[in-house]
Amino acid sequence: MFLYARSEKVHKDDRMSRLTIPQIEQKAKNIRKNIIRMNSHAGQGHTGADLSEVDILAALFFSVLKLDKNHLDDPQRDRFILSKGHGIGGFYCTLVEAGFIDESSLETYLQFDSQLPGHPVRRNTPLIELNTGALGHGLSVGVGLALSAKLSGRDFRVFVLTGDGELQEGSVWEGAMSAAGFKLDNLSVIVDRNTLQLADRTEKIMPLEPLTAKWEAFGFDVKSVDGHDIAEIIETIEAIDLNGGQPHVILARTIKGKGVSFIEDRASWHHKIPVDDQVMKAIRELE
Amino acid sequence: MVRTFIQAVEDGVNLAVVVGDSTSTSKIAPFREKYPDRVIDVGIAEQNLVGVAVGLSLGGYVAVTANAAPFLIARSNEQVKNDVCYTEANVKLMGLNAGVCYGPLASTHHAIDDLSIMQGLGNILILAPSDPVETDQILRFALSHTGPVYVRMDSGKFPILHDEQYKFEPGAVDVLKRGNDVTLAAVGSVVYEAFFAALELEKMGMSAEVLNVSSIRPLHRREIAESIRKTNTVVTVEEHSLHGGLGSLVSEIIAEQQLTAKLLPLGITRGQFSKAGPRSEIRAHYGIDQRGIVKAVMGLLRRKDMVRSYEDEQAPAL
Repeated sequence: MFLYARSEKVHKDDRMSRLTIPQIEQKAKNIRKNIIRMNSHAGQGHTGADLSEVDILAALFFSVLKLDKNHLDDPQRDRFILSKGHGIGGFYCTLVEAGFIDESSLETYLQFDSQLPGHPVRRNTPLIELNTGALGHGLSVGVGLALSAKLSGRDFRVFVLTGDGELQEGSVWEGAMSAAGFKLDNLSVIVDRNTLQLADRTEKIMPLEPLTAKWEAFGFDVKSVDGHDIAEIIETIEAIDLNGGQPHVILARTIKGKGVSFIEDRASWHHKIPVDDQVMKAIRELE
Repeated sequence: MVRTFIQAVEDGVNLAVVVGDSTSTSKIAPFREKYPDRVIDVGIAEQNLVGVAVGLSLGGYVAVTANAAPFLIARSNEQVKNDVCYTEANVKLMGLNAGVCYGPLASTHHAIDDLSIMQGLGNILILAPSDPVETDQILRFALSHTGPVYVRMDSGKFPILHDEQYKFEPGAVDVLKRGNDVTLAAVGSVVYEAFFAALELEKMGMSAEVLNVSSIRPLHRREIAESIRKTNTVVTVEEHSLHGGLGSLVSEIIAEQQLTAKLLPLGITRGQFSKAGPRSEIRAHYGIDQRGIVKAVMGLLRRKDMVRSYEDEQAPAL
């Protein structure tokens, strides 16, 4: 049986309202429960990667991003690029909580010709800017977007969420070099630093550290946060210097599979899904 | 190209040109002088070049990339596929100095697979102008069209084949000369070779119809089929691999339309890299210059006697 948590509609007005921290934490719980239900229903999905990013997405979509729900074509609105496209499950469930897509549509996730395929498709879903899935593409496009804001005198901000394994792609560093070169202080990269990639630990496969020093050397303003502490994520982003002439990177320390004990911090759960009594067990842990 | 871009901005197009240390390749200086904020140089980083162009397009610009075709096609292939084509970004890709334009610089610098690779991608229009008049027309169209466009560009000084009244129409096959004995279908930088070959054949009593296939996608395939149905003999000419270019396209059309025609595709040998050297000699080697085309047609029309005497006559020119 397929059951979704029915979330209360919190938005009374048209504008994306800023929720309180406990309200956002509740949103994050709902998102996680939907991820479990959606992936187990679909029989596939990147469960570990989806759960890892939830608090970052919740902080962005329920507090940070300036979006008018009814005017997504507003050229002044903030932009978000999910560069770790395999985290699309978490993103769809966030869009459900934010009221951009119907909860019932999650049942079609990964089905033939579904509106909700396994990687983002701009044509299908609101707030998807770029068809990602191949890694290392989001930052360059974020640079172009941030540059367009600078060149046309607009003050919107651009956020790019990358995986950590994704940082092994050379194109990320081409983008990074140019973000600093163009002095894009309206651009923020958030790294979902869960230390796991598909097959194993990032540091075992191809070491990324020292990440802070690397980003600093590329001209970035580097911040480090607990990627599951919504208050800290929001405070850190709000404290960013938007006139410093430097792009920003937030290294968000996360746990892959966060919230479910038997999924947490296990490489094998990159694209495994909960089955049978694992579903109820996971949901109970997320209550 | 640059004049068209300047005109476009004057006409109100919100243009941004992204280059990758390719300001000289793209001869963009006059545009940059007028509109310094509309030229973005990302340095030698083709993946970033295409990604940044996509970002600019998402931010409301008509974004144009301008760098050498071999690097655009190969190095940033996945950005072209996903970020431009799949995302349906409003980006115009200028494949500069395509084909064997960089003759002696060898195969790292040749783009003999661009038409084939672009045809493998969805959502993108593929255009190849044959002379400066058509280049201006095609660029104007590309800038006015919303969505991905690839333009196969060339820096060679080619004869002008069109008068100022010429109007490029996407999909249309441009008939440069009517004829009955053979169809010469050519693309881009070798259209003039086919056109002058046709004039020469005319003098020898062979009537060639010359098709300039500048719109590879979209393409009114029936217009090519009609010509072949009339002449029953077709020679395709391209400075491109024989895999997946115009020759392949015409053979598809022959099969689809169930035509019983003779086809001779002229281009870079299948399964090989192009030879390096002066461009004219590369063209002569593959028979895609005027002389090679004349010879090919004479052979096809079974005028072997004429082929021999034509060779003798041409020999001192080498």
